[in-house]
Amino acid sequence: MSKDKIGKDEWVASYQQRSAGIVGWRGALAGISERLPTWAWFALVIAIGVAIPMLTSNTYIIRVAGNIALMATLAMGLNLVVGYAGLLDLGFVAFYGVGGYVYAYLSSDFSGVHLPTGLTLIIVIGIGLLFGLLLGLPSLRLVGDYLAIVTLGFGQIFVQLMTSMTRVNLPGHERPVNLTGGPNGIVNLDPFSILGFTANTVTDYYYVLLAVMVIILIVGFHLNNSRIGRAWRSLREDELAADAMGMPTRQLKLLAFALGAAIAGLSGALFAAWQGSVFPGNFDIALLINVYAIIVLGGLGSLPGVIVGSVLMIAIPEILRNVELAGQLFYLLIIVTLIATLRPRWQSVALLVSVIVFGLILKPILVALSPASFAALEATSSGFVDTIRNWLAIPIEAKAVGNLAFGALILMILLVTRIKDMRVRFIALIPTLYLLSFVWETRLSQEPSITRLLFVGVLLIVLMIYRPNGLLGERRVEVV
Amino acid sequence: MSETPILRLSNINTHYGQIHILQDVSLEVYSGELVCLLGGNASGKSTTLKTILGIVKPTSGTIEFRGEPVQQRPTSYRIERGMAVVPENRRIFGSMTVEENLEMGAYLRNDRDGIKEDFERVLKLFPRLKERLHQLGGTLSGGEQQMLAMGRALISRPHLLLMDEPSMGLAPILVEQNFEIIQQINQQGTTIFMVEQNANMALSIGTRGYVLQTGRVVLTDQAKNLLHDEQLRKAYLGR
Repeated sequence: MSKDKIGKDEWVASYQQRSAGIVGWRGALAGISERLPTWAWFALVIAIGVAIPMLTSNTYIIRVAGNIALMATLAMGLNLVVGYAGLLDLGFVAFYGVGGYVYAYLSSDFSGVHLPTGLTLIIVIGIGLLFGLLLGLPSLRLVGDYLAIVTLGFGQIFVQLMTSMTRVNLPGHERPVNLTGGPNGIVNLDPFSILGFTANTVTDYYYVLLAVMVIILIVGFHLNNSRIGRAWRSLREDELAADAMGMPTRQLKLLAFALGAAIAGLSGALFAAWQGSVFPGNFDIALLINVYAIIVLGGLGSLPGVIVGSVLMIAIPEILRNVELAGQLFYLLIIVTLIATLRPRWQSVALLVSVIVFGLILKPILVALSPASFAALEATSSGFVDTIRNWLAIPIEAKAVGNLAFGALILMILLVTRIKDMRVRFIALIPTLYLLSFVWETRLSQEPSITRLLFVGVLLIVLMIYRPNGLLGERRVEVV
Repeated sequence: MSETPILRLSNINTHYGQIHILQDVSLEVYSGELVCLLGGNASGKSTTLKTILGIVKPTSGTIEFRGEPVQQRPTSYRIERGMAVVPENRRIFGSMTVEENLEMGAYLRNDRDGIKEDFERVLKLFPRLKERLHQLGGTLSGGEQQMLAMGRALISRPHLLLMDEPSMGLAPILVEQNFEIIQQINQQGTTIFMVEQNANMALSIGTRGYVLQTGRVVLTDQAKNLLHDEQLRKAYLGR
């Protein structure tokens, strides 16, 4: 039993061969991503980022891109706390708010203080670190769910305080002092101005946000590959084992908490400068959910994942604002899903044809049964939408019937996922897809604001089922 | 013996809440020894180890490590002073590579050259790990994970290596292989304190042994004497 038994491992030795065996576009993609050095990825991100304002003068697009950069920066801060160190911090957005309000205090007429932006940012980062430490000290005695609940409380307290500290009795003042501006916030903030450069236009701010994002990206990358980064990861894996290796687990957690808070504070200050004002509502739960969605979508602990996650989480809802485009994407997504999931491949074509025929047969029957319920539809601006609407049997009372159809659709989807028999499922899919299209045209496309949320929700659910580690997350390996 | 022991526990009492686990446990480990702590289920073996490491704090008694009382010190301090542990169930970091796992063992060291030297030493001891340096820890087999856990502990060049049930969850042939490696590590000069259920196996390579029964040391002797002791059987099987 000895050493000659511990020989060369064939499976390991054949790794190169196996990885070369992955062919097609996946193989090509994997090959490219393996060969590209890290700095090339950074360069690619920077190049795309810098190019956007040159390719378009549409301020709306640049504004969305700026929002992506801002959210990516914020999400990288959260990624450091949750992804690297594994601390479920639900009060994270409060640090973003602290950054925003500190910027507002130091650069507005509200307080009468107008510090140079550079100095303000240094103070913001310092206060962020301090707040991270202050909240971290008591919170980090707790683990997992308990930490989550306590930090959630902190986040709520922050919003409440900012909303309600409008009449505070202070010593030395005769009348109550308005400390935060309440729900009306603090407005007319000084613009971002550093080293003789003052940001005035959307494009200016976009470049500032992009630059900060790239800096944080590079810092985050090096942090992850440092001794501290590895220590964080081991902490996330197994705290007891990390403790037994002699790691100062408490200090490591505090450091993650404080650094995350500092990054959040910095992004909050940039946000305040960009918006020119701060309101308590800017830092509420909705934002928290959005940031978490970004890092979960991209993959916890993955920096490229944060960028991809922000692009998707910000861009998708924006794209869906355009009803026609949203419709086309919706149908495209259905077709792609069918092609990707149905085997053999011809089934997807057969299914589509069947659905179209089903609709063509169903409409005359329904119209014949109850002619009073149907009327000619008003033409919309889009030929594509008109074609589909005419194919569907849309009644006059579209809204009410659409609601019923929505319920029926959910039942049908549940049913389809339960059916095991291939042929029965194929047949059940026909009315399901018809209903899907019907619900889209009667309800979903009519109320885009709700649909956008639904869409993102469905996206997250599907992703969590098929890729529980997120798009670019590293695969977790459990030690059994 | 006149020399000071590397580790000395004197009258240690440890409680979990109201429950009195360790009752006046005293034991000594001298430099170069391989001391086994034996005992059946729930006899307090793991608690003793946790107390030595500082994961559990004793209610009374002293722990001297290299001549210095450490019972009030945190785990990280004790590790820094030269303890290292191979935990029960190995507890390697599954989503980190073998190399990173080993690096974590050297977390408290700053001497680059020394770490590199010990890296080589460990990889020489476990050639299997060398082949799998860039593989994720969780994808290793049980035996390889045990090697990784040992390597991770050894890389800190400890004065005292603590092992918790190195045979747990391994196939018999791997257990044997493992114990050979442990013996080899000991012969190369590392002092080892091992907690183990498999008494025969442990005593066959050990110098001395302590037997725990319901939180008390009931027996201590040279390993070869213990191997044939009637009382040891009693401690395991009850009366």
